[in-house]
Amino acid sequence: MTLYIRGMLKLDDLSARVGEGDEAKTILNGLSLEVPAGEVHAIMGPNGAGKSTLSYVLTGREGYEASAGSAMLEGEDLLAMEPEERAAKGVFLSFQYPVEIPGVPVMTFVRAAMNAQRKARGEDEISAPDFIKKAREVGAKLKIDADMLKRPVNVGFSGGEKKRLEIFQMMMIEPRFAILDETDSGLDIDALKTVADGVNALRSPDRAMLVITHYQRLLDHIRPDKVHVLAKGRIIKTGGPELAEQLESEGYDGILGEVL
Amino acid sequence: MTLEDVRNQFTDPTPADLQLIARYGELPDDARRARAFEAFAKSGLPNRRMEQWKWTDFRAGASSLETSSGKANVELPLPDNALLLRFDGKRWHLPEKLPTGLNVFEKTEAQALGNAEELPMAALAAGLTGHPKSIDILQVEVTASIEQPVFLDFDFAGREMAFARIAFVVRPQARIDVIEQHRGGAGLSSTIIEFGLQKGAQASRTLLQAGGKEEATAVTAAISLEENARFKQTALGFGAKVARIETRVSYNGPNATASLNAAYLPAPGYHVDFTSNVWHGAESCTTRQLTKGAVPDGGRGVFQGKFHVPRTVGQHTDADMQHKALLLEDGAEVFAKPELEIYADDVECAHGNTSGQLDETALFYMRQRGIPKAEARALLTEAFIVEALATAHDAVKDALNEASRNFLRREG
Ligand SMILES: Nc1ncnc2c1ncn2[C@@H]1O[C@H](COP(=O)(O)OP(=O)(O)O)[C@@H](O)[C@H]1O
Ligand SMILES: [Mg+2]
Repeated sequence: MTLYIRGMLKLDDLSARVGEGDEAKTILNGLSLEVPAGEVHAIMGPNGAGKSTLSYVLTGREGYEASAGSAMLEGEDLLAMEPEERAAKGVFLSFQYPVEIPGVPVMTFVRAAMNAQRKARGEDEISAPDFIKKAREVGAKLKIDADMLKRPVNVGFSGGEKKRLEIFQMMMIEPRFAILDETDSGLDIDALKTVADGVNALRSPDRAMLVITHYQRLLDHIRPDKVHVLAKGRIIKTGGPELAEQLESEGYDGILGEVL
Repeated sequence: MTLEDVRNQFTDPTPADLQLIARYGELPDDARRARAFEAFAKSGLPNRRMEQWKWTDFRAGASSLETSSGKANVELPLPDNALLLRFDGKRWHLPEKLPTGLNVFEKTEAQALGNAEELPMAALAAGLTGHPKSIDILQVEVTASIEQPVFLDFDFAGREMAFARIAFVVRPQARIDVIEQHRGGAGLSSTIIEFGLQKGAQASRTLLQAGGKEEATAVTAAISLEENARFKQTALGFGAKVARIETRVSYNGPNATASLNAAYLPAPGYHVDFTSNVWHGAESCTTRQLTKGAVPDGGRGVFQGKFHVPRTVGQHTDADMQHKALLLEDGAEVFAKPELEIYADDVECAHGNTSGQLDETALFYMRQRGIPKAEARALLTEAFIVEALATAHDAVKDALNEASRNFLRREG
């Protein structure tokens, strides 16, 4: 394990095509990236750059298979695993567009998810009292009331509630590697702060995060160790938090012009 | 009429029809029996050339009658306080003590059947029950509200054929809850359940049908409601080689209501048919019907629903029919025919009929959280089905949900 601790997530020359037949397009084109354990990296990029595509390739969504390159998590080949195996290895995605699951209450769903992951890792299930206690604590931190946790997952939730529920799930599951895909969009300032506090609480030496965002404002609350700019299917520029500020003032055109 | 005459009424009797004619010949002559059996003779075992049976073919499903070997292993627990009425394939067995307000009569002669022409399988059961020695017809009179559920256990194991009949007469303002377990076990079987709900009476009916892969079985219920009567039905059907669960509701007085919920889960090689017919023969009656099915590759589900609202008597009808099916895999078969025949103008009637697949984005979301594919499919399907079983009797609701969950886990 220690061998790989530097690059918890390591992407090499990753390419991906989406769509079928004549419609197929290359979205990722030789993307390389390394996120060490303990760090939080941000990915920024214009609309349609392929940020969500990257999150789906890493989590194994059907229709988003890598066509070349590799994606390793702690030395293991992510691309060879089923989505649920990746989850059990610790990969978590906070969806840009969280999905409704009619008829399945949040509590049932999250508990099923935690226990499925534990089972896959050969661990004991979480007991009902422990689960409820933890759900209460996390819910309180995120200002999610108990009623919301009894409702079917995301059904009838507002945009902000959905995003908060994603972070709730992340804090319950405590993944090793989390991808947050535009978790900030649809959140008002207060909710943004709450969500950022949740993310910051999860920072730890044996965990890494990739925060995909459009705007700098989330990064005011979650200070990333590095900022990457995704355009033309790859990382075209990497810098510190100041890169986000530069993007905010100059826009993507400035950066793109500078690089190309 | 001689047996020869009866046989001549069948245009093209199958070996199974001949076995049924022989059984008929063993029973004492009776005008009501003859009328019912003649109604059956018009078609013989119903087959796909008949409009109402085009998807559910008993003639093909029971060409000759043999004892069914395979038995479904789905069982309801007997609720602690339930009154058990057991039918062993030949006769009823009654509990030693009955509560006040519940009177049970054993009938030893054939009983008339309304609409016999339209219900060939029920006509068959009406023609072949009413045995002088073996009690195969019960009449239950309910004169008060009975707190204990009545549990009807139909176990036909080891029979070539089985026919049973039971009727509930629920007196004004009285109430009864009935739970039915149809375990199957006979090559061919047909059961008739009747409810006559008088003014302000209430009845609920929760049924589980799970037969074997070698049997053809029909369960026909006829419900008549007088003014302000209320009826609630919840059915879970796993099917058999051929299984038809048919319900006829007839409103005979105003302001009565009926809810008809059903779920079907036919495994590969199984067929289950929910057919219903609601006659809005009185003003201001309300019908709510929800049928849901989930079908894997090789399973076959049928839904035929009909609301009939006559112009003269059906004003202010409020009726809603929903059928929703999930095709779990390629090769799943669902046939649906919702029909609204509305002749009255001042009514609210609606219906919906959809079939589709599991939502792939929801499946991916669940798998991303670590839930394996089969488990995710089962969870989604269970959540889909559970709505139709929500009206089941509390004493067996969990057991029904568990039966559906086990089925979906196995299929996953
Ligand atoms: N399933 C798909 N089929 C066809 N095109 C797709 C699909 N998913 C994404 N795309 C296209 O890929 C490009 C990148 O999309 P996406 O990854 O969502 O961008 P971002 O998240 O950076 O805004 C867009 O042009 C989008 O239209
Ligand atoms: Mg996106």
